[in-house]
Amino acid sequence: MTIVLDARDLERRHALEGSEVTALRGVSLQVEEGEYVAIVGPSGSGKSTLLTLLGGLDLPSSGSVAILGASLSALPDRALTRLRLERIGFVFQRFHLLPVLTARENVELPMAEMGVAPDARRARAAELLAYVGLADRSGHRPTQLSGGEMQRVAIARALANRPAILLADEPTGELDAATGREILALFRRLHADGTTLVVVTHDERVTSEASRVVRMLDGRIVD
Amino acid sequence: MMTWRWAIRDLLRHPTRSALSLLGVAVAAALLLDMVMLSGGIERSFGELLRSRGYQLRISPLGTLPFDTEATLGDVTALTVALRRDPAVREVAPVLGSTMQGAHGAIAASLVTYGVTPTSQGIYTLESGRDLTATDTVGILLSVPAATRLGAAVGDTVSLRGRLDPQMANAGAERRVLVRGIVRFLYDAREQPSVAVALAAAQRLGGPDLTDRASVLMVRIDEASDLTAVTARLRAAHADVAVNSIDDLVAQFRLRLTYFRQLSLILGSISLVVTVLLVGTLLAITVNERSGEIATLRAIGVARMNIARQVLVQGLLLSVLGGAAGMVLGLGTARWLDAILTSFPGLPAAISFFVAEPAPLAIAAATLLLTGVLAGLPSAWRAASTPIAAALRSDAP
Amino acid sequence: MLRRLASCVVLITVLWPGHAKAQRIGIAIEQRLAEASGLAVGDTLSVASPNGGPRRPAVVAAIIEPRADPATILRKEYRVRFHLADLAELLGQPDRIDRAAILLQPGVDPDSARALLDRTAFGYELHGTAALAASSSTTFLVVSRFHRAIAIISVLASAIFLLCLMLLKVDARRQDVAMLRFIGISRRTVFIALLLEAGVIAAVGGVLGIGIAALTSAAVNAFYQQTFATTLIFSLLTWRTIVEAALLGLVLGLGAGALAAWRLVRLPPLVLWGRAG
Repeated sequence: MTIVLDARDLERRHALEGSEVTALRGVSLQVEEGEYVAIVGPSGSGKSTLLTLLGGLDLPSSGSVAILGASLSALPDRALTRLRLERIGFVFQRFHLLPVLTARENVELPMAEMGVAPDARRARAAELLAYVGLADRSGHRPTQLSGGEMQRVAIARALANRPAILLADEPTGELDAATGREILALFRRLHADGTTLVVVTHDERVTSEASRVVRMLDGRIVD
Repeated sequence: MMTWRWAIRDLLRHPTRSALSLLGVAVAAALLLDMVMLSGGIERSFGELLRSRGYQLRISPLGTLPFDTEATLGDVTALTVALRRDPAVREVAPVLGSTMQGAHGAIAASLVTYGVTPTSQGIYTLESGRDLTATDTVGILLSVPAATRLGAAVGDTVSLRGRLDPQMANAGAERRVLVRGIVRFLYDAREQPSVAVALAAAQRLGGPDLTDRASVLMVRIDEASDLTAVTARLRAAHADVAVNSIDDLVAQFRLRLTYFRQLSLILGSISLVVTVLLVGTLLAITVNERSGEIATLRAIGVARMNIARQVLVQGLLLSVLGGAAGMVLGLGTARWLDAILTSFPGLPAAISFFVAEPAPLAIAAATLLLTGVLAGLPSAWRAASTPIAAALRSDAP
Repeated sequence: MLRRLASCVVLITVLWPGHAKAQRIGIAIEQRLAEASGLAVGDTLSVASPNGGPRRPAVVAAIIEPRADPATILRKEYRVRFHLADLAELLGQPDRIDRAAILLQPGVDPDSARALLDRTAFGYELHGTAALAASSSTTFLVVSRFHRAIAIISVLASAIFLLCLMLLKVDARRQDVAMLRFIGISRRTVFIALLLEAGVIAAVGGVLGIGIAALTSAAVNAFYQQTFATTLIFSLLTWRTIVEAALLGLVLGLGAGALAAWRLVRLPPLVLWGRAG
């Protein structure tokens, strides 16, 4: 099996009011293609910090992260940004859709950045919105969508450039139970379709659906 | 990225704020436009006025500018003949200016009287009636203010008196003349009552003091001739008179208008500073507010350069829209300010302080747009440097 | 008393020593001319009318500094003063003048004196001092009107700028305001707090602005006094101007702050909180 993500001995220290706080200590994690990994742990355990390092949103104080063999620390910012665009999909707890753009435009955004032709990206956005069940809401702005719909648009956006891995940070954290279930069902479908998933969550339902569960405590993987 | 569409929607997101910013930029742009028009407008306007009748040179008493003092040139006939001898000189038009007393019936008024050679003159254009002929020594042309003051019209007879002697309480010479036409004197101030008669008639009315004298000689040279060379040649040949080209006169005029050029520079700069502050402040706050969105864009792989471009485009959009509104506003305020400044006493009515010329306007527009972009640079830099993870964490609920 | 004045353009050339034998006249030249031509009291010149006529030797009897006059500040011509008779003779126009100033006996009404003199002869015009002053100051009245128009545009631009800034500033407090409203602080209290903040900003900005104005005014005066070698004051910052500018700034600031604050406090706290995200 191909190793999509390979993190070794990750440490992340933050300066905080004159002292230093260690958020991650010696974390290593490998994710294979098609795997569905759930990272769980209490607040402050370092799981979100780990996700930002895995996604190249932040760089570790020490250790390394590689996506499909490319070491993130070794990449210049431009290449790292490009790698995020092409290889990684992000889903955030607070959706982080752009309020001035419609659902379709939000989904088109990563493709536009990739330089995909307008017609092609419009077609792909329509396909993705249909996939997440929002074909009829493509012209709506985020403020006109419910929380669950916004998260589904965010998932469609994350899939726009056919990433090698999809990273999700508390994807059901802002949603009610029923809507959370819909999102989890969507993740299940994504997994079934072959998408590699790493989900940071408090939601115990995710652990029952994931192919592997990684538990964290005090900045370390404990299980 | 859908840069422009996005920038427009972003402006519409906070309509009041954007409208105020646009209005602020518009007022600043209007001021900038006005100051650009003012900075060289009157010089251009003055130059155009001097060139309007095709005479390229003015000859006046040494040490004076045309009609700037009451000094006159002597032996004008000989001087005119001598000037015409130059192969480049096509035409010489002497003009004598003096103040005379005009009367029509019981109405009397002080009149600025020009003595001209009707066949070659460059100081008036005919509005109604007919022009003087070469041999017409009993005709007179009135400006509209002169006609109004005297209550005279074409065909009326008016009397003209010169060489007034207050001690004897009489005029040394008086002439009854027939109003041939109504003219517009190019260099007259607003409401200036002026008349034109044949040069010989004006000289006779002025008495012995004005015999064979003129205030200025207007010289037309061959278009193909080198003006600089001709000017130098005439200066050398006639060292006892002042030979000025239109550019020389404009340069003298420019000296007297230093204040307006400096004022326009200062106010133009201030308007640019206001634009920078407005656009810069708005973008800084926008970037602050949108730090979460910017971090999202960076997270999903949007390049720093594109983030910076997005901010710069927003600054540019503000400048373009504000500038466009400012151009319209500026043309309106220019008319208002021009009406104020052209009420300067003695200023030719045909002169305008605010002249819209394509090149300066293009420079003003380009400066404004560049200012908008420059104002956005710090915010663009900050946006492009947004720390992704921290901004996503701290983004509002 | 009749004080007679004559003015005209004269040609001046520095005289060769051999020409100094003719009868000399005394003249006063202005300081600028003395500096530009290296002339000093006692030097002899040759003077003549540009309209022709004889040249006469003239001795510099005095160097004068004409009273600073804004009307002539941009003129580059040099001024020379002659005794009236000398100048009239030089011009070949004895017993002629351009204008005369008349000092009336105490108690005589200038208007009736003017009317009386106007009837005695024609060929001259009489002007009262007040009318003459008004007429000769027309140029400055025009400049003054122009400055006022520019001031109106500037105040308009400043007001918009201030309103915009206040709006942005108050808008940036959206979440703070929502929080204050959540914990039960009344709209009125929040409004007053925002208004006070706007007032403080306007007041501090006003003080800074007056400081900048004082500095730029001093710089403008120094520059133009140096450029035109004059003692004239070009930028006059009076206490009245300062008070007016400060008050205007404060009123505009408070007005802009009030408008911006009102827009914010009228919204329900949940809307404020939600929109901030």
